[in-house]
Amino acid sequence: MLRVEGLSHSFTNGTETTPVLRSINFNIKQGEIVALLGSSGSGKSTLLNLMAGLMKPTEGAIYIADTNIVKMSENQLSEFRRKHIGFIFQAYELIDNLTVRENVELPLVFQSVHPKIRKQKAMELLTQVGIPDKAELFPSQLSGGQQQRVSIARSLITEPSVIFADEPTGNLDTKTEEEILAILKRLNATMSTTFVIVTHEREVAEQTQHIITLRDGYLVTDPAAGGRQLIGEEAR
Amino acid sequence: MRLKDLSRLSWDQVRRRKVVTGLCAAGLSIGCAAIILAMSIGESAQTYIETEMNSFFSMDEITVYADQGVQARGGPSTVDQEALERGRLTEQKLEVIRNMPHVIAAAPYEEFGYQEMVTTDGKRSYVQIYGTDLATLADFGKTFMQGGASDLSGTMVLNYGATLGLVDEEARDKLLEQLSQNPYDEQLNDQYERMTRLPTAMYQRQAQFRLYGMDNKLTLSSALRVSGILQKPAGASDRTLANGSKEAYVSMETLELLKREQGGGTTASSSGAVSYNTVKVKVDDQANVEAVERQIQKLTLSTQTNLHQKEQLAEQFKIIKAVALGGGIFILIIASISIVVAMTMSTYQRKRQIGIMKVLGANLAQIRNLFIVEAALLGFLGGLLGVLFSYWIVWGINALIHSMSGEGDAVVIFIPLVAIPVGMAFAIMTGVISGIYPAVSASRTDALTAIRRE
Repeated sequence: MLRVEGLSHSFTNGTETTPVLRSINFNIKQGEIVALLGSSGSGKSTLLNLMAGLMKPTEGAIYIADTNIVKMSENQLSEFRRKHIGFIFQAYELIDNLTVRENVELPLVFQSVHPKIRKQKAMELLTQVGIPDKAELFPSQLSGGQQQRVSIARSLITEPSVIFADEPTGNLDTKTEEEILAILKRLNATMSTTFVIVTHEREVAEQTQHIITLRDGYLVTDPAAGGRQLIGEEAR
Repeated sequence: MRLKDLSRLSWDQVRRRKVVTGLCAAGLSIGCAAIILAMSIGESAQTYIETEMNSFFSMDEITVYADQGVQARGGPSTVDQEALERGRLTEQKLEVIRNMPHVIAAAPYEEFGYQEMVTTDGKRSYVQIYGTDLATLADFGKTFMQGGASDLSGTMVLNYGATLGLVDEEARDKLLEQLSQNPYDEQLNDQYERMTRLPTAMYQRQAQFRLYGMDNKLTLSSALRVSGILQKPAGASDRTLANGSKEAYVSMETLELLKREQGGGTTASSSGAVSYNTVKVKVDDQANVEAVERQIQKLTLSTQTNLHQKEQLAEQFKIIKAVALGGGIFILIIASISIVVAMTMSTYQRKRQIGIMKVLGANLAQIRNLFIVEAALLGFLGGLLGVLFSYWIVWGINALIHSMSGEGDAVVIFIPLVAIPVGMAFAIMTGVISGIYPAVSASRTDALTAIRRE
């Protein structure tokens, strides 16, 4: 479903080149829930941005639903993102002046979906994340955990192939963190959507099926090679 | 993206960003109001002057003269009268003119000069006497306030101005004498002015004219009965009418009588047939004046119209309107700079939101369109405000004109209906054009940079 082949990336500042990712290779299957674990500066956010098509790598290929997104133009990428990729942000990133339901509907607005269908889908997802009663409220009227639930519902509305979650519990307390992870796991099980969760917290990563650990731009565990057992040693 | 969603999202931003919206709409409204005002003042002044010109120059009338021929206009004085017979303005030619297409009326029209009119109770005033076919007065646009034209000889029709300022000679002389002693006495001046526009009921009354003959001998004409008083011209004040237009209309027959009493000649030609010096022709529409004029000239007659005055005026107004419109557009261009600045600022502030939209699947065109629709909405709001402003300003100017002139005949500025869509269109167009740069710049926002948190 998601295949990364020989992916390398460097940042250039004047004449100085800093490698961030070095020859990354891995494969994530449809319906898996995978953690991308690493400390600050390990390259995990860069890898997420590359996989989401928000950046172009220096080298390598990224296949999502058998399409190499590296070669796409910006407009092709927005079209691709609309259909295949969902996002969950650490700071939720909801639009303040839209209601909860309208925020959830937003990706479908860009696809010109009929308002009735949008509304119905949004309400179904808000029910799934447990906040159907908050549909007509504005984001500022919700708690952090509730806002993240809205963000999750929004990421699912286009029925994407993969959802990238960037530190989805980073701004939440432990209890809410558990609730959000439980929702993600439940949705993964019921909707068989692939989730890639970027985190620096081992406890969060341990709740996923596979862990990809990055250190200084290198992939130090491979989920295909039983990375789950290695995580403890590498993350320390 | 559906148009309704596009408008809704854009309208949300317009409503939310009150400062930006206020700044942009204010700038645009000034520009829009400037255009509407420029058009209104130009149009109002043109209408006012055209109406005035129509009332003074009668644009839809043709004055026809007997053709004196080339020699008579500057050649030897010994002109063979028989040779001029062809160019005479005869009753027969008048009949031909009357039957021409587009001609409403044609009547002889002869000025008999300013003569002093004396009422039976000794009140006097100078009036201009015109000889014409009284029955055609209505066809020439004259409406009667009292009475009407009479078929009987020895009658006359007075215009409203001629009924004003008829004063007793003794009283007037006394007041003038007092004034000559105290020329700056405001009370006396005021009294004199009021006297000159004092109305007198002249309908069905008799009056005579003091006629000075060729030998400077004064004769009092026979008494003429006032069979009708013409309506006061719309918008003209008593002061204007008392100082200007005082007219008495008599039939051609009565005019002949007055001429005889004065000791002058008649209008009969050498051949004995009746001929006229001048005939006035009323045409159904200004647009047909030229065509009728050409037909009349074919009858070996000279013609004169006032159309050239209108053409001159139209030319002048074209320039005035263009200058005024240019001023409005210049203000709009200045206003557009404020929109570019305000919207670019707004784009910068919304960088993060644009980034999120892009990550959620909005493409370049959708982001660009959001901003352009937003700019168009700002233009629309600015236009609406501009229309309101222009109505307030016009109301203010009119109030000022009325308070300054103190009369009902002041120039009234009106907003022509066409000015509103033109002003609105300019405002929306300026909004859209000014919104292009911020829109393109917004669409080029890098999604990653926009959503990255430091």
